[in-house]
Amino acid sequence: MHELSIVEALIDQVQQELDRAGQQGRVLQLDVSIGRLSGVHPESVRFAFGLLTPGTILDRAEIVIEEPKPVCHCHVCEAQVEIDDLVVQCPKCAADEITIEGGRDMLLQSIEIEES
Amino acid sequence: MKIVAAKKILKANDQLAAENRAECDAAGVFAVNIVGSPGAGKTTLLEALFAHLKGRIKPAVIEGDIAGSIDADRMEKIGVPVVQINTDGACHLDAVMIANATKELDLAGVDVLMIENVGNLVCTAGFDLGEHLRIIVLSTSEGDDKAVKYPAIFQGSHALFITKIDLLPHLNFNVERITADMKRLAPEAPVFQVSALHGDGVPAAAEWLAERLAKKHG
Repeated sequence: MHELSIVEALIDQVQQELDRAGQQGRVLQLDVSIGRLSGVHPESVRFAFGLLTPGTILDRAEIVIEEPKPVCHCHVCEAQVEIDDLVVQCPKCAADEITIEGGRDMLLQSIEIEES
Repeated sequence: MKIVAAKKILKANDQLAAENRAECDAAGVFAVNIVGSPGAGKTTLLEALFAHLKGRIKPAVIEGDIAGSIDADRMEKIGVPVVQINTDGACHLDAVMIANATKELDLAGVDVLMIENVGNLVCTAGFDLGEHLRIIVLSTSEGDDKAVKYPAIFQGSHALFITKIDLLPHLNFNVERITADMKRLAPEAPVFQVSALHGDGVPAAAEWLAERLAKKHG
């Protein structure tokens, strides 16, 4: 359940971004992306977000989570396939010589704030 | 109005991890993050590695546990400088905890810093501590399907140490299967089979570690 510490880090980071932009308006919406292979469950992030944000700068803000999929590159058949879960073989030709890219990062994409 | 950030959520952790790594580099310390389930045998493995490399390395240990100091007491008993971190429920160590713990150690007299993470195959995968090397410890009694079930922690590791290898005759654990899975997830990572209690395989694993240390300092 380290989604709690991730949301704590997220709240700090939003504060830093607002300070840097010199903004104090209320936060309406956060757009974040949580890769499918990040090991972090979006539902748990939403739960932790609801738990930790009241009384902070993110009080009543919406969190919108995008879940980018990793891509499996096959070095044998050269297929590039979006995958939902980690695979150990090419989904097309079952070769072992594959590279999986993306889907691991968690990013704070953007912050929407109320016009002041 | 919209502020575009496009930054990693654990950027603060990653930055501090980079600082930890730089601090270790400056002090000539090779930092190793030891991850694995509770009961995988991480502490017993450390004891065996230290015994084999006695006189050749100057180790220190950071022990991460939710509560208690059982592991740190074991390290003290064999004369290894140790700092115990109690995470009070947190399921992983993070870079902040390591930055604070290293302040308690005299790094000048240390060349290997072993960081024994909280026993967990999930959460520990997401947090860079500032280590140079990550070792995943898996005991035979946990089963040979763990790399497929918990790929992230295996994928980011630099070696797999299979412990309790002396139990193989009593278990349905297929070493070839886990080795093949590890090879797919982390092609460069060597796989070692050890019995830390009885010493089988300990020399090969310890010498590999010593080699990595020498390469770092060489």
